[in-house]
Amino acid sequence: MDIEKYKKIFTQESDRYLQELTADLLRVEKDLPNRSLWSDVHGKLHSIKGMSRALNLDDISALCHSMEAWCKEFQGGTIAPNADAVQVLMDGAELLKEMVAATAEDTAIPAPTRLDRVGALLRQRPDQLILDRPFDPHPFSAPSKIDHIRVEYALIEELLARSQEIILLERTLPPLSQEQITSGLRSWIDHYMALLRGIHFQLARLRLMPVQDFVSLFDKPVRDLARNYQREVRMEVAGGELQVDIGLMERLREPFMHLLRNAIAHGIEPPDERKKQGKSREGNIVFEAEKKGDSLLLSIGDDGRGIDSEAIERYLKTRMGMSDQEIGRMSREDFFRTILRVDYSSAAETDQLAGRGIGMDVIAKAIEYLSGSLAIHSEPHRGTQFIIKLPLSLSIIYAIVFELGPYVLSVPTSHVVSIERADDPLPEQRDDLYDLRSRLGIRFNTAKSSHILRVRRPPDPNNPEAGHTLDRFSVDAVIGNMPLMVMPSGELLARTESFAGVGIMENGDLSILLDMERL
Amino acid sequence: MDCFVFEAAGKHLGIEARYIYRIADEARVVPVPLLPSCHVGVFYYRGDLFDVIDAGQLLGNEARISNEPPYVILLKWDQKSLGLIPERIVGMTWVEEENSHGMIFTKEGLAIHMMIPENIWKRLSELPYGH
Repeated sequence: MDIEKYKKIFTQESDRYLQELTADLLRVEKDLPNRSLWSDVHGKLHSIKGMSRALNLDDISALCHSMEAWCKEFQGGTIAPNADAVQVLMDGAELLKEMVAATAEDTAIPAPTRLDRVGALLRQRPDQLILDRPFDPHPFSAPSKIDHIRVEYALIEELLARSQEIILLERTLPPLSQEQITSGLRSWIDHYMALLRGIHFQLARLRLMPVQDFVSLFDKPVRDLARNYQREVRMEVAGGELQVDIGLMERLREPFMHLLRNAIAHGIEPPDERKKQGKSREGNIVFEAEKKGDSLLLSIGDDGRGIDSEAIERYLKTRMGMSDQEIGRMSREDFFRTILRVDYSSAAETDQLAGRGIGMDVIAKAIEYLSGSLAIHSEPHRGTQFIIKLPLSLSIIYAIVFELGPYVLSVPTSHVVSIERADDPLPEQRDDLYDLRSRLGIRFNTAKSSHILRVRRPPDPNNPEAGHTLDRFSVDAVIGNMPLMVMPSGELLARTESFAGVGIMENGDLSILLDMERL
Repeated sequence: MDCFVFEAAGKHLGIEARYIYRIADEARVVPVPLLPSCHVGVFYYRGDLFDVIDAGQLLGNEARISNEPPYVILLKWDQKSLGLIPERIVGMTWVEEENSHGMIFTKEGLAIHMMIPENIWKRLSELPYGH
């Protein structure tokens, strides 16, 4: 990702954090000993520090670091906070806001003397602040501009639906008379429709939400679960600023809830047990979101006791009749994937505490229907991690759309290396062309192939040294390179294990997105 | 209950009105490879993607009886959705409770086989998909 893009993300995210930080400081000012509020403050400063370090913004990261140092003491209870200290931190927050704004506009750090003074104060012990002169009345902060608003998701869906209906209306346009066409009515309508399509596409982007917001939905459920099972749990998010389709997240809500319940009920040990093992009393659950190529990777990990390997071994021996050697030969991933089997239920699943015991197989299926995959990593006493990989979950991607037989198909542009015109039948070259037609069950081979697509396939996970392989296949016609709004293909199409989704073109027509990894 | 009646594979079929989302006309259904022959394709309508099934073929017809452009009966239930292409649409009718075989008799003497979307889905799930 280039620097400019990252800078933009940095400013947007930091602005958001700083707004929240100010709110937190206002709250903690009225409730000084509240350690969890200090933990929130600390967390936000830490995030801003991390991002600024990545961009070598040393002044910002240094200021965050000093502010963080105070917060750590307050959060840990080693030093008691006081009103003056909070004022210093508030001044620091205001400075940070100005510094972030300066970064966005590429101007110099504002008010260097104020920065020095706050820096000097932060070097002192917060409970023994020596103020050489009474506090300068800091210029009163003006209320921030209205930047983001909350919108009901139902409203967005309604807007999207309406705009789509308007676009579909074009199909019922009655035929125009010659006079109407020459008077310019046709081109007016075309222009009008193009503008509407633009609106529709912009609305589609409203379907994106930051992962952080999705994870926040679980704050209360996690807290309740922790209380119920008498555990101490802390949730962390990495990559929370990544934007994902709300519809997709909605479908993952239940699977995630189940994974969290498992993590808290079975993964994370009771605080005393953790203490004995030399772990922190608080168990950690980490949500991670990462975009890798065309896939979205979402993972939930805990630092608990890991999946019960003995139970899996018992199952493999008794239910599957496997021998010790056969089990030994299994890869760790395959070994843990056993818990996804329909008839797998360790004692843990069926005991009272686990509740309804929705099988892991239901989770696996839900993910499959989104054209995704689930990987499991686990180590005894260290913890467990579930990694969900979802293809092309960002709303809009560019794809090469083409015709093959009766179908309109597409391949992500990022996978396409080149498009060549097919000269009239090249029988001698036909051998090195991948036969996509028979792979897709297209029986009649139209000899009128117009183009050959050369695509880069992702490396085979079983043979990573092979790297990317190239494939060439012929197509009947290339429609173009265009943005598609990608929707999950649904249960029935997912069973073919060949498609990454259904793409909606700007004119409302559909194309079937091929899954290059699985074909 | 209110019941939507249509014809396919030589039978009269009915679905309870509460499952009917909309009857779409001028529907552009896009074919998808590697699906059973009764699966005509997918249809995007108001933000939802519907799997469109030829009712006649699902119930045993050999080939599709084409009607261009098709009416598609859009069904929605339980977080799932489906589209059905009938051979002929009869219309809405009010019926009393069905008997145990899922058959209804209207006062005109018409025998209607009641269909439940979940059962249609189950039948679809049992068909072969893929290569």
